[in-house]
Amino acid sequence: MEIRKIVGQVTPEERAEIQALFERKNGLTELAKIVDANNTELYEKLVKDMGETGTKFQQWWDNKAKQYGWESHPKGNWEINFQTNEITLVVNEA
Amino acid sequence: MEQIEIKKSDQGWQNGMAKSITFIVTKDCQLACKYCYLVGKNTKERMTWEVAKEAIDYILDREEDFREESVVWDFIGGEPFLEIELIDKICDYLKTEMYRRNHHWFNSYRFSFSTNGINYHTEKVQKFIEKNKNHLSIGITIDGTKRKHDLNRIWKTPEMEQGKMPKPEEEKGSYDDVVKNIPLWLCQFPGAATKVTIASPDIPYIKESVLHLYALGIKEVNINCVFENVWKEGDDALFEEQLTELADAIIDMDLYKDHACSFYQEFIGKPMDPERDNQNWCGAGKMLAVDAAGNFYPCTRFAAYSLRSKPAWIIGNTHDGIDQNKLRPFLTLDRSTQSPRECMECEVASGCAWCQGENYDAADTHTVYQRATAICMMHKARVRANNYYWNKLFRKLELQEYEEQKRKSMNIVC
Amino acid sequence: MLTHIIILLDDTSVSYCHYDNNGAKRLLITLNDLKAGIIWAMKENLNIQFVYPDYALPDEYNKTIETIDHTKIKPDVQAKDADVLVLTDWKNRLLPAINGATCIIKASRKELNDDHEKIMEVLNMAERLNIVITDIDSFTDKEIDDYKAFLDRLADGVSKMYSQGKTAQINLLTDRIMLNEMNNCNAGSSNVTLAPNGRFYLCPAFYYDNPQNDVGNLQEGLCIKNQQLLCLDHAPICRRCDAYQCRRCVWMNSKLTMDANTPSHQQCVVAHLERNASRLLQQILQEKGISLNPSYEIEEINYLDPFNIVNRWK
Repeated sequence: MEIRKIVGQVTPEERAEIQALFERKNGLTELAKIVDANNTELYEKLVKDMGETGTKFQQWWDNKAKQYGWESHPKGNWEINFQTNEITLVVNEA
Repeated sequence: MEQIEIKKSDQGWQNGMAKSITFIVTKDCQLACKYCYLVGKNTKERMTWEVAKEAIDYILDREEDFREESVVWDFIGGEPFLEIELIDKICDYLKTEMYRRNHHWFNSYRFSFSTNGINYHTEKVQKFIEKNKNHLSIGITIDGTKRKHDLNRIWKTPEMEQGKMPKPEEEKGSYDDVVKNIPLWLCQFPGAATKVTIASPDIPYIKESVLHLYALGIKEVNINCVFENVWKEGDDALFEEQLTELADAIIDMDLYKDHACSFYQEFIGKPMDPERDNQNWCGAGKMLAVDAAGNFYPCTRFAAYSLRSKPAWIIGNTHDGIDQNKLRPFLTLDRSTQSPRECMECEVASGCAWCQGENYDAADTHTVYQRATAICMMHKARVRANNYYWNKLFRKLELQEYEEQKRKSMNIVC
Repeated sequence: MLTHIIILLDDTSVSYCHYDNNGAKRLLITLNDLKAGIIWAMKENLNIQFVYPDYALPDEYNKTIETIDHTKIKPDVQAKDADVLVLTDWKNRLLPAINGATCIIKASRKELNDDHEKIMEVLNMAERLNIVITDIDSFTDKEIDDYKAFLDRLADGVSKMYSQGKTAQINLLTDRIMLNEMNNCNAGSSNVTLAPNGRFYLCPAFYYDNPQNDVGNLQEGLCIKNQQLLCLDHAPICRRCDAYQCRRCVWMNSKLTMDANTPSHQQCVVAHLERNASRLLQQILQEKGISLNPSYEIEEINYLDPFNIVNRWK
């Protein structure tokens, strides 16, 4: 069973930061499905980029959670609504 | 106070501010929809990979000329999914090239499709969707109930290609072949919208069709009247009646909370200031379309196969580039210069749309500055129904709040 | 409101504007059409401008023309009695007796630069000189400095003439100083053209481009569709522009932007280079104590194409 609870809200600027990272992360993930390891230059650039972007992405969540003190749950994760800038805690009780 | 829930129509990704670049990948289609504005569909003009690549390279080579923060790479036909292999190759190339060139669009792009839905379930289309899931916007056109959908959206026959039209009893509608794919589509794209087109014969089925689409699980219905001069006397009264009945159904059944219908919008039907409210809302000129020959257009509506009575308005090609002079009329078009006096003095002008392509096609001269106003009476009918909707809805919500306050006050113990 | 009619007497009538009729063969307007055209113009209360070919007209044509007040636009080889003289081979031919006529020179951008001295010679002899640049359509931004340099040299020559007590009138420079509002060609809105085939056109250029593209005939009268789009108030870029000397050529607009009410980038740039050169000339003359239109000083601006600032007006 999924429980959803709004636990906070970020500023439009903060939302823009995570949205850009989210978009880039998705783009890199989908690009990785088609880039051949034989294309060394592009492949290495992509792998490095995925690592860096993933790190920045996680850092944003860690920093903001700490800054705002959002409620958390061992079986939960946070989601952001890009329209409303709200942060929702989603807990999977199953 | 309880939060009022009224689902609003989605403004589109990036609020519609992204650059839209359309590939006309094919003019072929399995269907021969009667209202289709694409008058010159054929099986011959298919875009080749070479032309697509030239167009992509031209655009991506000129990052400084395309400064929009985001891009929507749009694929149309005919039926675009008839060219899924080409589309797959194009999209792979776009992703790779945007990344390799460090193009700013790599961080903000979408691939967009408007499909008849018939081969949505096929393996190749599904593989493509899986590969590009987070960057896709796919709209399936389902026109409402089976009887409404099959009125217009009929299968093409070999005889039709010879110019021989079937008798009504021989027509085969495509509803059954489309509706079976709706659950899969909604599962993959919850919140997806459908686009419904209304011409004169469709009017009696509007209410049942919108409600039917809601029942299928489609919560966002973008429904519009065609701009072409197809309207007959009495159409506006019938249209108003349908929209009023639909309003009753949506409000009485509380569907407004999580369903949207583009017919009903708060801003519609107000007078407009001639100076303050003078902007062009149609994106022709800001968009870019490219056809199988590598010709560029300000919008697909200016390609030859979309036009009844005018030559194509080509603004360049992949070899010679875009002639910016040919874009100037589109980019300086405003409401006052194109509109007749009646439109400028109209008391219910807001929300009355125009299409620069139809302006051009219907104009007496070679211009986009003669507003095509065939839609006028339909807009006025819509305004009346829209006013009814919002008056009824707000009254309902007002009364609900009053009852809620009354109930709360009765619980207070002094 | 229509105020003028241009009557082309022959298919080879001299070209006095941007259009080219080099491939045309002699075809004289019929005498009946000429008479009907004059009567139509009289009833519509229009001034008539006759455009002549390079050969002498039959006597009955001349007599018919003289029955009404009019302006003669003639090539230099038929200079006698011309009100407007088109100098068709101005680089090579000896200048005819100008006798107070307005002169027209058609020149390419290269010719303007290469034959600047000849242009000044004409300006010194003529009451007024109109220069028509024949290849504006191929003008590119790389040539901005070249055209500016040409206008500066022209302005220098004009200011010297004024210092010597001569009043020079030249469309590219002095017109803008004297104007307080737009002074455009207005083809289709304040004037129309009657072609040798007896049909009306927005201007001669439209006739030579495509004779099927008429806007009426002598039997049925005028029929100009979307006439409002030929007027200044329906030109979004032009109606706020102050390059008042620009001809706002609707034929060039149609050719280059495909819409009659929208000017091309190069037309706007050329017109603004001229406007800016006029501004500097006005200042130079003022410093010499010569005030032309002193109540209206041309403002300094920082753009050459008003299309680029259209968003400011929205």
